[in-house]
Amino acid sequence: MLWMKEVIMTKYLFFSGKGGVGKTTMASATAIHCATDGKKTLIVTTDPASNLADVFEQEIGHKITPIKGIDNLHAMEIDPDEATREYKERIIGPFREVMPEDVIASLEENLSGPCTTEMASFDRFIDFMEGDEYDIIVFDTAPTGHTIRLLELPVDWSKHIEESAKGSGQTCLGPVQSIQDSKEKYDRATALLKDPVRTTFIFVMRPEALSLYETLRASKELETIGVKSGEVILNGILPEEVCDISFFKKKYYAQQNIIRQTEKTIAQPKRHMFLRDNEVKGVSALKDIGRELFTGKKPHYETERISTAQFVPTFERPDIDSLFLPDGQTKAIFLTGKGGVGKTSISCIAALHIAQKGVKTLLVTTDPAAHIGEVLDVKIGSRPEKITENLFAVMVNQQEAFQEYKERVLNDARGKYSEEMLATMEEELNSPCTEEMAAFDKFIQFIEGKDYEVVVFDTAPTGHTLRLLDLPFDYAKQVEMMAGAAESAEVKKTAQNRFRDIINTLRDKKRTVFTLVLYPESTPIMESYRAMLDLKEAGIETQLVIANMVLQEEVCSNYFFQNRRRMQMKYLEEIKEKFNLPVLQFPLMQEEIKGLFHLRVAVATL
Amino acid sequence: MKIAIYDPPLCCSSGLCGPTLDPVLVKMNDAILALKKQGVEVERFNLSQQIKEVMSNKTVAELIHKNGRKTLPVTFVNGEVFRTGEYPSYEDLCKVLGIEPLKHKPIALNIM
Repeated sequence: MLWMKEVIMTKYLFFSGKGGVGKTTMASATAIHCATDGKKTLIVTTDPASNLADVFEQEIGHKITPIKGIDNLHAMEIDPDEATREYKERIIGPFREVMPEDVIASLEENLSGPCTTEMASFDRFIDFMEGDEYDIIVFDTAPTGHTIRLLELPVDWSKHIEESAKGSGQTCLGPVQSIQDSKEKYDRATALLKDPVRTTFIFVMRPEALSLYETLRASKELETIGVKSGEVILNGILPEEVCDISFFKKKYYAQQNIIRQTEKTIAQPKRHMFLRDNEVKGVSALKDIGRELFTGKKPHYETERISTAQFVPTFERPDIDSLFLPDGQTKAIFLTGKGGVGKTSISCIAALHIAQKGVKTLLVTTDPAAHIGEVLDVKIGSRPEKITENLFAVMVNQQEAFQEYKERVLNDARGKYSEEMLATMEEELNSPCTEEMAAFDKFIQFIEGKDYEVVVFDTAPTGHTLRLLDLPFDYAKQVEMMAGAAESAEVKKTAQNRFRDIINTLRDKKRTVFTLVLYPESTPIMESYRAMLDLKEAGIETQLVIANMVLQEEVCSNYFFQNRRRMQMKYLEEIKEKFNLPVLQFPLMQEEIKGLFHLRVAVATL
Repeated sequence: MKIAIYDPPLCCSSGLCGPTLDPVLVKMNDAILALKKQGVEVERFNLSQQIKEVMSNKTVAELIHKNGRKTLPVTFVNGEVFRTGEYPSYEDLCKVLGIEPLKHKPIALNIM
């Protein structure tokens, strides 16, 4: 197991991969291993919907927290809101006494914009890469698409700063001279990310087609910004000895097939990790994972066939048609949840189900790592594509949305302003904040439009979705603060009305249906529950929970799967009590859904 | 000839990076570009980003202290306070500086 020894040689370890692949578990097990090895270790997460606290079974939060029972190990969950607060206080703090309240309030509001939040989180993240306090820093990074964005930001920003220095000298991130320091900081961060002597990227994946595709894509994306991917962990492999049940035998062979493909297509060293018969939680379970990870010692499995009656919670079957079908107005259905819970498959199933009822339906994905195309087996573009009768699909591509938005603004301005002004505008529009704005704009157009009766959003993982849904609230506030003279009044009113309409639509239970997708295990439940509370705070009520990948009794005829099913049943009961919402169960499928035929079969089981 | 503008707290003074264009800011920027072309030196300070620079100007600090946020923006022409509470127009600035406005005139932007 030489390669893992090599990994430990670098000071910075980044764990990357699609949500739900076991990234946090692998990162935590690695951190524990390093700490027990006598190295002063810190594990940091930048995922706004972090599961670190759930895995370590202790509160962590936005501060460096010692992990109980393990010397040398500390953890921190970067909270974007907290990071923003700290960042703001650094700026405003010294002037609190000498400025009138309304100016302070106005400053605080202004520094709460989306740009500041992004900047502040990233700033905090880089701080960890600069210090010398730890021997090893493990980054349990956010899901892939988000990670890439985060890593690309320093490149964008320093480019943005350089370009602005040539032009008007004002940038969205502050006047050039006052952020020269930051530019150096971002450049140092990028250099560090690209330095294999100091940094290793570890991709965690499951032996599934989508996961392999995702890993290949992510490592290619990293390479284009000059970062070499390091190693790969194949996690959740079904042990052969427990797959003597035909349902799982098929799954086992499918996995083995993907493992072979992975060996062929990915050159990096690979490590195999096996599925456990229970979930991994708490320090002792993590130590056990660490043993498998670092010594290659496969866990022991009970293989005997047993059949014992077990507790099964009962549910009333929810009336999904009354939730999903439109009622005179366009209906938006949002499906969100932790990465890897099967949001995409469920979105496709829901959309096809609705379309089959004769309702014109659009399926929209905002996940930067979109794979609706793979499920439908059709290439999805940035214009709605007809999939089958009444069903259309589209992908919101951030880059394209950004170009469109930029063109629109510039076209409007052409002829009204001097050439110099247009050039300045073009330069100013190249900011990360505009990119986010443009993607939001595109996304919201689908709700505002009248072309479809139902719009199903296969949204990105929870944290990302919540961020997106926060935007109309942020923007409404920002519009409130526009420079404000008579000429702006008209524009201000139009924009205010628009954001108010969006917020009202999101809050109207008849027009918007928020659905949480999860599988019955601890971390997806915790994450969804937090999302439900966050949405509630914004005045948005969640209306349905879909419990996916539920193990069916008839296929769980040995100890291993019965144990897993027992765990699931315990969590289904927890879902029932915790959410107090209608719950729709969806069984674990024998094969991944690929293509319309498969999808139709799945819809029929609804 | 010198102009200094002290902006209220802005995400950025371009007027472009928010959820909608701010035509007042875009117009101001167009005016600044024209003035620079005519040899006028223009300095700009955004309270959100240059709080120290803004507060180290005694006149501005006093105005803010006395009148609060509504006093911003403050425009100085050749060191003297020219206008508070709103942005001056390109024509007004040309007039006080005693220069001829350029042919191209900034027009209010009509978007959305």
